[in-house]
Amino acid sequence: MKVLKGLPVSDGIAIGKAKYVNKTKFKIKKKSIKEEEVDSELERFETNLQNVLAELDELIENFSLSKDNQDILNTHKMILKDPDFIEKIKKMISQELMSLEQAIKKHFTDIMAIFNNMENNFYAERSSDYEDVAYRFLKHAMNIKSSDFSNIDKNSVIFIDRISPSEVTKAYEREIQGIVVDQGSKNSHSSIIARSMNLPMVVTSEEHKKKISQNTMVIVDGSEGKIYVDPDEETLHKFTEKKKIIEKRSQELEKLKYKDSVTKDGKKIGLMSNIEIPEEIVQVKHNNSAGIGLFRTEFLFIDRENLPTEEEQYKIYSEIAEKVAPHPLIIRTIDIGGDKLSSILNIEHELNPNLGCRGIRLSFENIPVFKTQLRAILRANKKGNIKIMFPMISCVYEVMKAKKIISECKQELDKVNEVEIGAMIEIPSAAVNAKSIAKECDFLSIGTNDLIQYTLAVDRDNQTVAEYYRPAHPSVLQLIKMTVEKAHKQNTKVAVCGEMASQEQFIGILLGLGIDELSVSPAKVLRIKEKIRNTDIKKQKEIANKMCKMSTEKEVMDFLQRSER
Amino acid sequence: MIKTKVKIKNKLGMHARPATMLVKAASKYRSDLKIVKDDMEINGKSIMGVMTLAAEQGSELELVADGVDEEYLIKEITELFEKKFDEE
Repeated sequence: MKVLKGLPVSDGIAIGKAKYVNKTKFKIKKKSIKEEEVDSELERFETNLQNVLAELDELIENFSLSKDNQDILNTHKMILKDPDFIEKIKKMISQELMSLEQAIKKHFTDIMAIFNNMENNFYAERSSDYEDVAYRFLKHAMNIKSSDFSNIDKNSVIFIDRISPSEVTKAYEREIQGIVVDQGSKNSHSSIIARSMNLPMVVTSEEHKKKISQNTMVIVDGSEGKIYVDPDEETLHKFTEKKKIIEKRSQELEKLKYKDSVTKDGKKIGLMSNIEIPEEIVQVKHNNSAGIGLFRTEFLFIDRENLPTEEEQYKIYSEIAEKVAPHPLIIRTIDIGGDKLSSILNIEHELNPNLGCRGIRLSFENIPVFKTQLRAILRANKKGNIKIMFPMISCVYEVMKAKKIISECKQELDKVNEVEIGAMIEIPSAAVNAKSIAKECDFLSIGTNDLIQYTLAVDRDNQTVAEYYRPAHPSVLQLIKMTVEKAHKQNTKVAVCGEMASQEQFIGILLGLGIDELSVSPAKVLRIKEKIRNTDIKKQKEIANKMCKMSTEKEVMDFLQRSER
Repeated sequence: MIKTKVKIKNKLGMHARPATMLVKAASKYRSDLKIVKDDMEINGKSIMGVMTLAAEQGSELELVADGVDEEYLIKEITELFEKKFDEE
């Protein structure tokens, strides 16, 4: 048995046979070209070469786990920049009239044959570098986007160089046990999806993977990031038991799928999902949650060189709205700092981006971008189930201004459905002024992550001050209470869409403070539903009121533990 | 034209990483670099060439540089061999 360590990206335990899926055999249809096609074929070579190099650069920059992995990718780049390689391919195209694909295939097959014939095994292994490069190139040239895993048995763990979000979805649909990738990070789209589907996934370097051969028995522990290769009896037993416990738990939770999210004393709590990318909708449907309480649209805007067009956004919003109907889809307009969009929007460097031009402020600074997004949303609202939510509201004036821009957009468009408007309550001033904001809004949604950050003046990504990030601090609880009381007087409902709503321990407090709706990550929906169903609001109200009067978070947490006993 | 002989000192021989370093270094210069091993001669700016040499620890190579900046090229490349490509 060998144990390999990787980066854990999605929890859970997978037990199965290792299946490599990146070595697909390509079927090249067009092998030769005519004289007159030579120029365009050479041009195609050039374009694809640049694209593959750009992809490698991106991988090196953003997705490489280790120095080893970067070295490998740098070697791949070098293979593609090899003057002999370029010359040979050009020759095969222009003199031997081979198609680009055929030339690439022939070139790399020849090289691999040289390596494979070497006596020294070490060098023979290097042929895999050439195989990978050829694969990547052909994938580009032939425009092959994804695998569907249709020939893979469900009792397997997939080993793949890089996985796309739609491939993760396919793996999930085919009930594949787990995924091991070379390139990825905790926040890549694919990782987010894998987490939303409770599909175990680990990122590990290619060098590691070479130690595992096809069909070997493996255990993938997604929470630890460990891969057990050819596990011994004891380890296998241990993990089989662990897996059984997890499965039993998820079967229990599955039973809650069609049960109402209602407290012990009968209050119905809206339980929705937060999503970042359209593919997560699969899990939202699976858990039967009551719509999307927060669609973060940032993913449409970052990591690209141009802004998404109205048409592009319209398609995405329409697709999601259609899929969740009749439940609501709450779309939050862009909530990023200028730092993330500086390459496209020409924004000056800010010393303090968290207090700078972000959220609604960024939208106001870039009205055309804002209007494009609003128009796309309004047009997509064909079923009338879309709602718009504004981030970083500090004052009711901003809500009014945003509403005015919405009505301008409405006038520019032909008839569109009415749309409900909401504000995020994440700046303390908005909580204090909740009354006037609630008057202008159809709903409010508390973003606890930022509310905590701004109330306690702590950047939670800064490790040195991380201990000051205290979700259950009495001041935070008071602000939530204040928001709810003021909004309820205006008959406006209040949701919580921040991370606090996804943490089981805080559900009692939030409901006790009077929260009407919760929006949580898709993977947590059923767990939170279970918690809601075990909550007695009357009792929680008393507890929450007491907590608001306490002076430290520690007091709150101690009290929480005692009251749960 | 300058010719010089070098010996591979690092344990793992001319595998992908040192080959990449070598090609990267050689490509910075305008001069050509040929590497000769036994009866095989390859382009020192081609990773494919360098890797197909399959040069193991202890094998001797001849470097042949030709061009305006040949001296600098040879100097940098011999240094790489000397410091074992930062390996053991």
